[in-house]
Amino acid sequence: MTGGMSAYPQPHADADNHPLIEGWREGRLMIQVCGGCSHTFFYPRPLCPYCWSAELSWKAASGRGTIVSFSLVNRPNAPAFFAEVPIILAEIRLDEEVLLIARVIAREASSIRSGLPVELVSGPEAARYPLPTFRPRQ
Amino acid sequence: MATSDIGIIGYGQSVYVKRTDRTLLSFLAEAARNALASAGVAKQELDGLAVSSFELPPDNAVTLAEQFGISVSWAYLGTAGGAGPVASVIAAKRAIEAGQATLALCLAGDNYDVGGHYRLMDNFNRALKNYATPHGFGGANGLFGIIQRKHMETYGTRPEQLGRISVGQRASAVLNDNALLRTPLTLDDYLTARIIADPLRLYDCVLPCAGAEAVIVGPLDRAPAGKGVRILSGYERHNHPPGEPAPLRGGWELFRDALWRDAGYEPHDMDFVQAYDDYPIMVAIQLEDLGFCAKGEVGAFLGRHDFAWNGSLPLNTGGGQLSCGQAGAGGGMIGLVEGVRQLRQEAGRRQVKARRGLVSGYGMVGYGHGLSTSSIVMERTQ
Repeated sequence: MTGGMSAYPQPHADADNHPLIEGWREGRLMIQVCGGCSHTFFYPRPLCPYCWSAELSWKAASGRGTIVSFSLVNRPNAPAFFAEVPIILAEIRLDEEVLLIARVIAREASSIRSGLPVELVSGPEAARYPLPTFRPRQ
Repeated sequence: MATSDIGIIGYGQSVYVKRTDRTLLSFLAEAARNALASAGVAKQELDGLAVSSFELPPDNAVTLAEQFGISVSWAYLGTAGGAGPVASVIAAKRAIEAGQATLALCLAGDNYDVGGHYRLMDNFNRALKNYATPHGFGGANGLFGIIQRKHMETYGTRPEQLGRISVGQRASAVLNDNALLRTPLTLDDYLTARIIADPLRLYDCVLPCAGAEAVIVGPLDRAPAGKGVRILSGYERHNHPPGEPAPLRGGWELFRDALWRDAGYEPHDMDFVQAYDDYPIMVAIQLEDLGFCAKGEVGAFLGRHDFAWNGSLPLNTGGGQLSCGQAGAGGGMIGLVEGVRQLRQEAGRRQVKARRGLVSGYGMVGYGHGLSTSSIVMERTQ
């Protein structure tokens, strides 16, 4: 569904974050690992926010996590989302213990609960979304 | 920060409007002119200038000095969103104590509307622009919905408790001709309003608008007789805790003890609280983390207080951003100006028996939450 893809606001790719953006085009959620202190983190940065090491590598996260909390957004920030409300916006704790904010896709927004296990959407559905996006774990 | 004879000697505010053809500079100028009149200071005497404004770029504090035709020895550009204006006053006091200036004008304001607010938030910083905007995050509402739900599920805080903040503030706004929303609001209105970002409803959210606020910091003996406001203590903190997108705290708890120690007072000594009210949940978290109640117990605390100007805990006594509107970074100074107005006994029909009070700032939304906090305690001079 290229129409939807092009209509969503897109992240700006740069030298710090292109593995994340390119990895997601292949359906993977890439997170950074610090060679200095072994912490993993998101969002992409040119230095480890824990120890300031520049010795960073990327790894594909498992793609599984849990909803910590969420909101159901009836008034999103761009027209591309208006037909898809409510937007399920969630704080997600990855199995790798990394916290991120991401969208969750579900047929019934009322089925979403804190503590719900989620996983990355996959295949053609994943290609619709500009950033790693989740669904209730199946 | 210890008190000194440098304090707030004047204040000013522009009119607040929902939409306008006027420029940002005209709102800042209106607030500045009113502050000069309040202080009894001539424009040529100003030698310090601070400004906090999201829409000001490509201008800045120095180019604003050019626009205003003043030459200054101290210039400060607020970078802490809604915590910036209170931080700018802390910095102005220190600059004057250090001899870098003698009279500083601290300004805050913006002119935008609902559409402008979304554009601002979509491009607020690199992290939001790249990792939240593409998700359709809904600006600050989407993020603070996450925080409010977490507080509700962690501590049992209920909407009917949080709603007492919006309802109490509206009762004060009814007496403020410059509030954009001043029809009385009931708890039932609050609880049944349309959902913006579940669990946030309409009266949890501010109305983006145009307006500006100003104070003048200088030697208290320059204030008109009996009109000086002493700054007893002030602290700020940015990016705390690091690495958490949606924390239920923001940094106030780190400086709370020093804030009250320096002031020589406790929370219960405050005659009013002007807390940053982008959302009731953040007011609630400020009350917890500044020591008005224990962490996690704010729901019961809200339930037993009335927050109108004449209630048991006068809160945002001009109506706050929730009723006046949020003039961008001006939202970080509206409480300061209202606090000064109250301490000068110039609040008209909503005058509190005010000797001293707390002002608290919060803002600069990063990847999930406001990164900046700031607070001062102030007292009227006799």
